Amino acid sequence: MMGMESMGPRLGLLAPEMVLFAGAVLVSVIGLSRSAGMRRSVPLWCIVALVAAAFVSVETWTQERASAAQLLFPSMGSFVKPMLALVGVLLVLPGIGAIDRGVEGAIASGRQAFDALRVMRGEHYAFALFSIAGAMLLCGASDLIWLFLALELVSLPTYIMVALGRGSRKAQEAAVKYFFLGALSTALFLYGFALIYGSTGTLQIAGIRDAFAAQAAGPGIDMTGLAGLCLAILGLCFKITAVPMHFYAPDVYEGAAVHVSAFLAFVPKVAGFVALAVLLGTAGWTGHALIAADGVRVAYTGLPEPVAAVLWMSAVLTMTLGNVGALMQRSIKRTLAYSSVSHSGYMMIGLIVGAPAGINALFFYLLCYGIMTTASFAALAALERSGEEVDSFDDIAGLRVRHPAVAWMLAISAVSLVGIPPMVGFFGKLALFMAAFESGQVALVAIAVVNSAVSAWYYLRLAIVPLVAPPSARSATVVSAPSRWPAICAVVCGVGSVIVPLAASRLLQASERASEGYGAGSAVAGDESGPKGSGGLYTSRLTRP
Amino acid sequence: MTQALLAMAQDGTLPELPETLRAAPSGEIAAALLISALLMAIGVVGFLSRRNMIIMFLCTELMFQGAALAMVAFSRHHMDVSGQVFVIFILTVAAAEAALALGLVVLLHRRRETLSAEAWGELGE
Amino acid sequence: MTLAQSIPTATVSESMSWVGLALLFPLVSAVLCALMAAFRFRGKGPALVTAIALGASFAVILRAYMTYSGTPVVIPIFDWIDFSWSGGGTFKSFAANMSLYVDRLTLFWMLFVTGLGTLITVYASEYMESDRGAGYCRFFFGISIFLASMTALVMSDNLLMLYLGWEGVGLASYLLIGYYYTRPSAVAAAKKAFIVNRIGDLGLALGTFLIWSNYGTVQYDTLFAALSSGGWSGADWDKSLIPYLLMLGAFGKSAQIPLYVWLPDAMEGPTPVSALIHAATMVTAGVYHIARMYPLFELHPDALATVAWIGGGTALLAATIGMAQYDMKRVFAYSTISQLGYMFLGLGVGSTFAAAYHTFTHAFFKALLFLTAGAVMHGFGGQLDIRKLSGLLKVPGFRIVGWMMLVGCLWLSALPYSAAFFSKDEIILAAFINGDRAIPALGWIALGTAALTAYYTFRVWFRVWLGPVRYEPDPVEMAHMAAAHGADHGHGDHGHDAASHGAHGHSASHGTGHGHGDSHDFHPHAPRLAINGVLVILGIGAVLAGLPNYLVMAGRESENWVQWMLAGSSAYQGAGVPGGDHSHTILGMDAHRAMLLLGGCATFGGIAVAAWLHLFSRASADRLRSALLANPLTRWIPLGAERKWLVDEFYHWVLRLPLWIGGQIMSFADRHVLDGALVNGFGKLPLALGRLFRPLYGGPLQGYAVTMAGGVALVLAWVVWMWTRGAH
Repeated sequence: MMGMESMGPRLGLLAPEMVLFAGAVLVSVIGLSRSAGMRRSVPLWCIVALVAAAFVSVETWTQERASAAQLLFPSMGSFVKPMLALVGVLLVLPGIGAIDRGVEGAIASGRQAFDALRVMRGEHYAFALFSIAGAMLLCGASDLIWLFLALELVSLPTYIMVALGRGSRKAQEAAVKYFFLGALSTALFLYGFALIYGSTGTLQIAGIRDAFAAQAAGPGIDMTGLAGLCLAILGLCFKITAVPMHFYAPDVYEGAAVHVSAFLAFVPKVAGFVALAVLLGTAGWTGHALIAADGVRVAYTGLPEPVAAVLWMSAVLTMTLGNVGALMQRSIKRTLAYSSVSHSGYMMIGLIVGAPAGINALFFYLLCYGIMTTASFAALAALERSGEEVDSFDDIAGLRVRHPAVAWMLAISAVSLVGIPPMVGFFGKLALFMAAFESGQVALVAIAVVNSAVSAWYYLRLAIVPLVAPPSARSATVVSAPSRWPAICAVVCGVGSVIVPLAASRLLQASERASEGYGAGSAVAGDESGPKGSGGLYTSRLTRP
Repeated sequence: MTQALLAMAQDGTLPELPETLRAAPSGEIAAALLISALLMAIGVVGFLSRRNMIIMFLCTELMFQGAALAMVAFSRHHMDVSGQVFVIFILTVAAAEAALALGLVVLLHRRRETLSAEAWGELGE
Repeated sequence: MTLAQSIPTATVSESMSWVGLALLFPLVSAVLCALMAAFRFRGKGPALVTAIALGASFAVILRAYMTYSGTPVVIPIFDWIDFSWSGGGTFKSFAANMSLYVDRLTLFWMLFVTGLGTLITVYASEYMESDRGAGYCRFFFGISIFLASMTALVMSDNLLMLYLGWEGVGLASYLLIGYYYTRPSAVAAAKKAFIVNRIGDLGLALGTFLIWSNYGTVQYDTLFAALSSGGWSGADWDKSLIPYLLMLGAFGKSAQIPLYVWLPDAMEGPTPVSALIHAATMVTAGVYHIARMYPLFELHPDALATVAWIGGGTALLAATIGMAQYDMKRVFAYSTISQLGYMFLGLGVGSTFAAAYHTFTHAFFKALLFLTAGAVMHGFGGQLDIRKLSGLLKVPGFRIVGWMMLVGCLWLSALPYSAAFFSKDEIILAAFINGDRAIPALGWIALGTAALTAYYTFRVWFRVWLGPVRYEPDPVEMAHMAAAHGADHGHGDHGHDAASHGAHGHSASHGTGHGHGDSHDFHPHAPRLAINGVLVILGIGAVLAGLPNYLVMAGRESENWVQWMLAGSSAYQGAGVPGGDHSHTILGMDAHRAMLLLGGCATFGGIAVAAWLHLFSRASADRLRSALLANPLTRWIPLGAERKWLVDEFYHWVLRLPLWIGGQIMSFADRHVLDGALVNGFGKLPLALGRLFRPLYGGPLQGYAVTMAGGVALVLAWVVWMWTRGAH
């Protein structure tokens, strides 16, 4: 049990979240200012808060604080929090100029007086900061209550962001679907949490892990626990757009404003994967060494069989359905939504492989994915056609002629999303597939590679249509968005997709922190000699030394 | 204090706990769990079958309460108070979600003059 | 003790990271040139920026040379790729970081690469001035990219970064050969160079892969350590394949048989490019690569013999073709191929010193030759045909150019006691007497080639610079200039009536050559300071390149400087030079005396024949040619040499045409069979799958909810089933 004496260090770990909360409050107040200049500065403050949070998260993180927090992954936050904050900075940019556009235009032209009830720039960015702060909080979750609250903190603001992101009916339809299906998924994982609690008798993550390990050492994890785990995993699949909870993604990404779609494609996903890593970490992978009830030393490896099977099938279906779904889309945003689904499928491989290699590769992949997917969404946000978002392949045909920078960034991000070598996407896939290969998941790697090949089909369309195809009648009327920032964001991310690989090994090393210290705090200190490498797909081996 | 209690327990002189603090008989727990599962199932079925958005939202609330009831039951089973603490938080979040849902429904109603979820089927393949 | 064992272990030094500036400066200048192009800058800024950057780069290298301690240093710039993984198999890591490997071999190469780069940039600032604007920026962008890539190639500490630089110089070469992209011939030449180099690069890439899979590393220091600790077992076929694959890469880049065909065509590029990239620096990358990997080649005597034979064969073949060409730059291009052949011959017969020394001297005199040719081309309206230029030494303003070309020609012909004579002499000597590796037959071939070299070199010089004054501009070039730059060309009158000049041949004596006042006349314009200055500096450099040997001869130094520059590197074979102990004999004479005699005879013989045929009695050259043509038994000689022994045609019929036919068949099959069967079958499978699942995405909100809940229910039922099965 945690006493008051460990509160201080834990608060230190929460410094970045506190910075973001302060930033959110500040931003929501500034957003209501009567001065247009002040209102325009909202994204700037948002970025300041995020950069400060990134800085603080690096500065305040210490080994000592992390171990005092009794976390399953004590060091995860030291990689995930800066990643969230820095990609968050990029996610702020595509919205600049799009939010409140009509209202601000009316105010500027004098057609309308300032009305605090009509502007929502402050809210939008405050919600974005809250959501990112929620994802950061997940890294420090030491019990299920915390996990639940942090997950809700991630989701609730995004519902509103979808509804208010743009004024069209599509956005509201997207909000309805997203909210109701989100509530359904929340109920599912909440019930899963209840069952896990019923099986283990504790809400503490570390306690759950010990209880599961003790059960596994005996007759195996009981039905309640397994059902709870599976329900929780399925509920969380909603956050990461994985089968069977991914159906909403194409509609919501299409309906929401493009900068909100970019946000949805990254922040809730990070949150979902962190939560899944923590939940699965309670049930297994490698390196557990515990004393079972009868005092026999037991090394426990691998996920429980049904859980592993559920994850395996979900991963395969997710990547496959994502890719085949994307093949016949006319809408670019839907294509990107399906692409985001398929990337979740790849990343689930990391969950199956587990700590340390799989989890490290998963979070490295998340970073790579964040950069390249933001590049593609930002490139779309940089364009408009008669005041509407650009969303069909017709609109971007021959884009190279009139908007060369955006066209190239779209192409670069697409090529990177396929995973073609010099790009960042390749290194993400390389790390992930290599980890899976090393742990013996050859079939999974093969399926993922075939899927990557299929995905080249639609991604290359995204690269070729703007660069090679002749301009169409529709694309001739495409103009730049009023703000330069989305384009700048696209260029930064696009160039980043090319440059980041230069630092690939350094970033891979950094991502190794994600699972550093996993298993160290189990009932008996981690047995380093325990068997390494998962024993294959459907095995949860019990070895009694 | 603890020492004294332990000593009393060993002597068998520990006073009888009041009814509410004793572990409930498993039958009671099972009944509570059954009801929680029923609430969950009714919630899901209602969510799937009703078209009125307010009713649909109430159904998600039912599911939440099902989970909360399961928490309470397990808390009683394990004689561990933290499950009941969780319930407080579930109620809080459910309230927040309700506020959000009502806001959203009002927004949508203004736009479409209907509460039916089927009015919103523009997106899709 | 093998060569690999004698290499000192490299130390990692963070404190020398300033050497990385040598790589940074050209990159910065490339970015600046690109920016100037973007802002439509029309001045000489790009040349200035590039010259300053390359000069700074040279200064950095010079300082590194001054402070170099004698043991190789690895300078990490940043971690690039550093993977390691556990699991079965022997090799568990792949590291290729952006690090520089500095030893004397590196510094030696970098000294002349950056030094010549700077000089030629200065020359080009005047040469390219008619293209000021976008073209000017593009040109210097290419030069900067080239220097950055070449620096990466030479200074890298691993084979992957070398490969990166290798491809980078290939790209720069492609861009610069195709500089005049409106000319179909330039575009074709650029493509040819690129594609032929791809074949070589494939070899290099495969060789690198095999090195990694056999030795577990691509970093030089660990590779040499692996080699010296007996990493060589000799039995594996794939190990013995490595040097041949690496060789293929070197032959591609350095234009040797069978991949030399791209270099003559590469002369379509602007002349400074021909001088810098296609004569002095880039084409020596192959020599550098083999010198760098010499510890590996040393383990494969057969591979070295192959290098020697290919080198000697290329030297001879290129010389015979050079004898019959009329385009000045092409003659020099073939001479470059031929001299590169000498370098490979030197490497092959085991004298890295001779190869490196010849690379060094060659860089100077060949750059000089190309730049003088460029000055002629620049001054005479792009005319390069030696039949249409004569007696130019008497044209005012061209005297310096003429005398400097004479220096270059004498050096190329290996005039006794000139720098090039020493270096060439070392190579031939090594071929005769270098222990086990000597191949005397190649020594004789090399001697014969030296005579041919002297002949074709002076054929050009005598034709162009002596005799009656006669010149005319090149019609194609003039038309191009008029079309592309007529308006802002500094000498816009060149464009007039170019065709009429071409048709009749324009003859003018020295006195009237530019004094007619007739607007139809062609005025040669003499080079100014930048060109003349660079020519003189290069001439002095070519003379001074012999200094290391003079100092040894004078007893002031015990060891040739170039040899000293190899010390402690992968290409160092000890202080002695072949024949240095006077114990070897050729034809009964002391080896060095014999070389002096034989080499001198070859040189002067060649020059004498050239003087007779092309200076004193030009008519007899034509008579000789028609006599050879008249005799059916000998007519293949002039025809074959003029048509480059039909190698291009051979490649066309044997390689290109079958590939083209194959490509057409493939394309047909692709369109009608693969697209029909595969795309409709396998290819449409994902699409069909997509259609299958499409209804799932069609519904309103509750449709999704049903599918989701159904999915969850399915999963739960399955988990329960699995659990019950597992429990009992």
